[in-house]
Amino acid sequence: MSTKIEKTVEFRIQRFNPENNKRYISTYKVPVYKGTTILEGLQYIRDNLDETLTFRHSCRMGICGSCGVNVNGTPMLACYTQVLDLNADSVTLEPLSNSPVIRDLVVDTQPFFDTYQRIKTILIKKEEEFNKPDEFAQMPQELKKFWDLTLCIKCSICHSACPAAIDERFLGPSALTANYRFISDSRDEGNSERLKPMADNIWLCTQCNSCTMFCPKLLQCANAIVDDHCLVVESGDIPRTVKDVLESVYKYNNPMGTHQSKRMDWAKNSNVKAYPNVTEADVLYFVCCSNVYDIRNQEIARLMAQIFDKLGVTYATLGSEEWCCGDHILRLGEKGLFEMLAEHNVNMFKKFDAKKIVTLSPHCYNTFKHDKPYSDAALNVQHYTQFLAEAIKQGKISPSKTVKKKVAYHDPCFLGKRNEIFDAPRQILQSINGLELVEMKRTKQSSFCCGGGGGRVWTEEAQPEKRPCVDRVKEALSLGVDVIATACPYCITTLEDAVKVLDVENKIAVRDVLELLSEAL
Amino acid sequence: MEKHTHDILIIGAGLAGLRAAVAATEISNNLDIAVISKLHPLRSHSVCAQGGTGAVMREKDSFDLHAFDTVKGADYLADQDAVEFFVKNSPKEIVLTEHWGCPWSRTPDGKIDQRPFGGHTFPRACFAADMTGFHEMHALYGKATSYSNVKFYDEWFATSIIVENNTAVGLTAIEMKTGKMQAFQTKAIIMATGGHERIYEFTTFSHTTTGDGMAMAYYAGAPLMDMEFVQFHPTGLVPSGVLITEGARGEGGFLLNSKGERFMKNYAAEKMELAPRDVISRAEQAEILDGRGLEGPYGPYIALDLRHLGEEKINERLPLIRDVAIKLGGVDPVKEYIPIRPAAHYSMGGIRTNMKTETPIKGLYAAGECACISVHGANRLGTNSTAECLVFGAVAGEEAAKHASNSSFHEISQQTVLAEEKRVFDEILGNEGDERSPVIRDEMRRIMNTKVWIFRKGDELENALKEIRQLKQRFKKMKVEDKSRPFNGGLLDALQLGFMLDLAEVTTLSALARTESRGAHSRRDYPKRDDEHWLKHTLAYQTKDDPRLEYIPVTITKWPPAARTY
Repeated sequence: MSTKIEKTVEFRIQRFNPENNKRYISTYKVPVYKGTTILEGLQYIRDNLDETLTFRHSCRMGICGSCGVNVNGTPMLACYTQVLDLNADSVTLEPLSNSPVIRDLVVDTQPFFDTYQRIKTILIKKEEEFNKPDEFAQMPQELKKFWDLTLCIKCSICHSACPAAIDERFLGPSALTANYRFISDSRDEGNSERLKPMADNIWLCTQCNSCTMFCPKLLQCANAIVDDHCLVVESGDIPRTVKDVLESVYKYNNPMGTHQSKRMDWAKNSNVKAYPNVTEADVLYFVCCSNVYDIRNQEIARLMAQIFDKLGVTYATLGSEEWCCGDHILRLGEKGLFEMLAEHNVNMFKKFDAKKIVTLSPHCYNTFKHDKPYSDAALNVQHYTQFLAEAIKQGKISPSKTVKKKVAYHDPCFLGKRNEIFDAPRQILQSINGLELVEMKRTKQSSFCCGGGGGRVWTEEAQPEKRPCVDRVKEALSLGVDVIATACPYCITTLEDAVKVLDVENKIAVRDVLELLSEAL
Repeated sequence: MEKHTHDILIIGAGLAGLRAAVAATEISNNLDIAVISKLHPLRSHSVCAQGGTGAVMREKDSFDLHAFDTVKGADYLADQDAVEFFVKNSPKEIVLTEHWGCPWSRTPDGKIDQRPFGGHTFPRACFAADMTGFHEMHALYGKATSYSNVKFYDEWFATSIIVENNTAVGLTAIEMKTGKMQAFQTKAIIMATGGHERIYEFTTFSHTTTGDGMAMAYYAGAPLMDMEFVQFHPTGLVPSGVLITEGARGEGGFLLNSKGERFMKNYAAEKMELAPRDVISRAEQAEILDGRGLEGPYGPYIALDLRHLGEEKINERLPLIRDVAIKLGGVDPVKEYIPIRPAAHYSMGGIRTNMKTETPIKGLYAAGECACISVHGANRLGTNSTAECLVFGAVAGEEAAKHASNSSFHEISQQTVLAEEKRVFDEILGNEGDERSPVIRDEMRRIMNTKVWIFRKGDELENALKEIRQLKQRFKKMKVEDKSRPFNGGLLDALQLGFMLDLAEVTTLSALARTESRGAHSRRDYPKRDDEHWLKHTLAYQTKDDPRLEYIPVTITKWPPAARTY
């Protein structure tokens, strides 16, 4: 094809030569036309500049799944990505993550395909059913239920982006989605058999949503995994750790195993007001179970209260009527229990007259925004980083003290990937004098989960090197930062745990954005 | 060198190959079966099949009707006994894939739905939206990988079939990950490697579908049949050539020229856009040659208009087409027409087999597009290729299994294997010439695209033949710049180019010899079908010099040749 060259783009390609085990970068100038895909760019290089460049490709129409690569840190199909759409003069291409590299952009997909050997990818029915000469009946609406999940091209992009997949016990987003595709196929009768291969490992999913965000075929993998969870929970074949969390919520309305009457203990000796003493305020401060009960995270709850005071806004909490938001419970697969929690909280939001709800945890924020019945209530909810970024912008608070620290910000998945709140926390950090904000390589949409979401923070029992948080702290260490900052109590818990496991407490600290801001005020 | 031993080797893991594996293991689970493919099975070109699989599923349809449509579509060059067998066995395959889990689109009462397709007089295309091959492949892969006696060699590049005393006894293949050549000893080999349309510039084919199996069988002494018959699909997306399914017209899409006319009324007044592919591709090419193509940055094209179908129907029935048109063509078919023109799409020809898929070499079988039985004659109807892969893939698996159960291994001579190592690693990888494979490849594709295209002429074909033979000489002076072993794409490109050059030569020579127009083979200098002289199949044999052509008669059972109008 030949029309007009729109521009010349630099392709920076991560190479690997297995014969001498050398890794290096090669750079090429590629002429780009309207419509030129990344794959066509790679072919141009091979045909004209460097025959040794190695990559997989076949159908060039997004259906064979061969050509997944990391493009500027985000995994995508090379044949289905137009260079001009990237809006860049230079693109960095790297092999997909989570798989051993064979050569250049070619990775070993065998471990990925091996996950399918643990499930059955054909219909399960009684043997005699298969002797019938006719097709099994299936109504169009029955087909529609699982159709979207049949579109997986097994490109392994989800696997490459999955933080849980660093533990090979995990079935992985693709096989778990395929499993649910068969479970929800009206022809299939293998329900109980299909639950077995996931019962002991599905808990490793953190619901970070990477699989869904990067799927070139737009499969809702993360939701399919929640549906898998529900079936496993329903079957009762669940690990002790999961059982304990669910029982705690049944008993106490929070996952911490602590009585609700202790819910305001974090605010002892302070003037934080709570329902039912107060029933109206500018802000309903939704604190989150972790910040309320976890001694480490209580500090964050108190700092927020101090800032509210400083800002002069009226605020109050729901006191012992603040129940767990249920985000983890929903994603662990206990929908009924989640609904009970949500109905209570929604009911309380009606009783309490507030202009807005401010949450400390991205998980509370996310579920209030997106999950029924919360989403039906159209709540005016902000994550605290949004609230404070606004206050700083409006000059209501100004961090005046210098905090001389090199800080890497870790995007919590439920704030970043799921709600695209990337800027607010960074704006807060950038407003602090002396603070040097650096980005980890895996950042924003491509951030690497801490491993705490989807209830995993309660059920973690993986070997240290298989924990996402350990992987993440190592990444931060490689940048030589003093602090990993984040804006989620569960990220704090998991990342601090990793710092202890790695025994690097003297090298790096984990701080909430709120703590760094308070230091500067 | 390591040596592997398996009762049956299946080369290629698309629809035909996987179906053969399942059929063979169903004959006996004591057989040790290996599937060898240069791609992971799910990367095979079969996943690109879109529109449907033809099968008689309902009472109002009949085997005779499907068979006649196929024979007429084939311009009477199909072997009618094979066609009759084919149509009778296709419905069973639809049900089998359904039982394994293929998500076929459904009628309101829960049966497998069927849509109209070109050249078929009954809506008999079973479909899974517009990803039929994709879904059949994923169902088959699930089935094939459920057996413990089927071993997969993914990303192993077969280089040659070893034949001794006219019997296939083994194979050489390169393990791509390490770049090492290894030998396979076997009792039966099934070739299921697909077509060779990558010899053309503008094609619907995956990059990797380069006709390797056809070439390997040809080198092993098996004849290639009817290679002059190359199908040009009427709707290749401009500029990439990516397939836009005939299902788009099956659902009611129009073809328009630059005047906005549905020009098919001048070529096939009754069938219009649902005439067979050869008829429509010629019509499009004629419109373009007469100056009625639309003008675009990539040259003249034809408009495929789906706008009147509406967004809902397009999303439900043609979701992939919409996505592909947006992503690769920059047009949304809900709002704009799709720029298309004819693209090389299918090889009616291939390794000659009988109805049992046996080639003239004992123990060597072939199925799917790389084979020629011949069910498709001079022009294949849409939906008959996936059906053929399933029906004859199953036959090949069964026949090879029976053969393997009753025969023993032969020793592979060390000399043969060493000679192949020398050819690949010394003569090709070790060559220090001054020619480059992408240059020769592009020239071959340009020659085929300009001189061995839809309309052909004797002098142009002669010219093309001469040029291709020059390229074959230049190929001998080619240098592979990448000298390392692991995943050496340059070496594999060179091997594939070697295969393609010989296939291009056979295609051109067969086309030059056939001085008539029939089905997809359209000679400007011989515009009429000539049953008196040419109602016969071409066979091409490799010799030390140029290919040798022979001819064999066509089997006619019920339908004597008649005029072919639509």
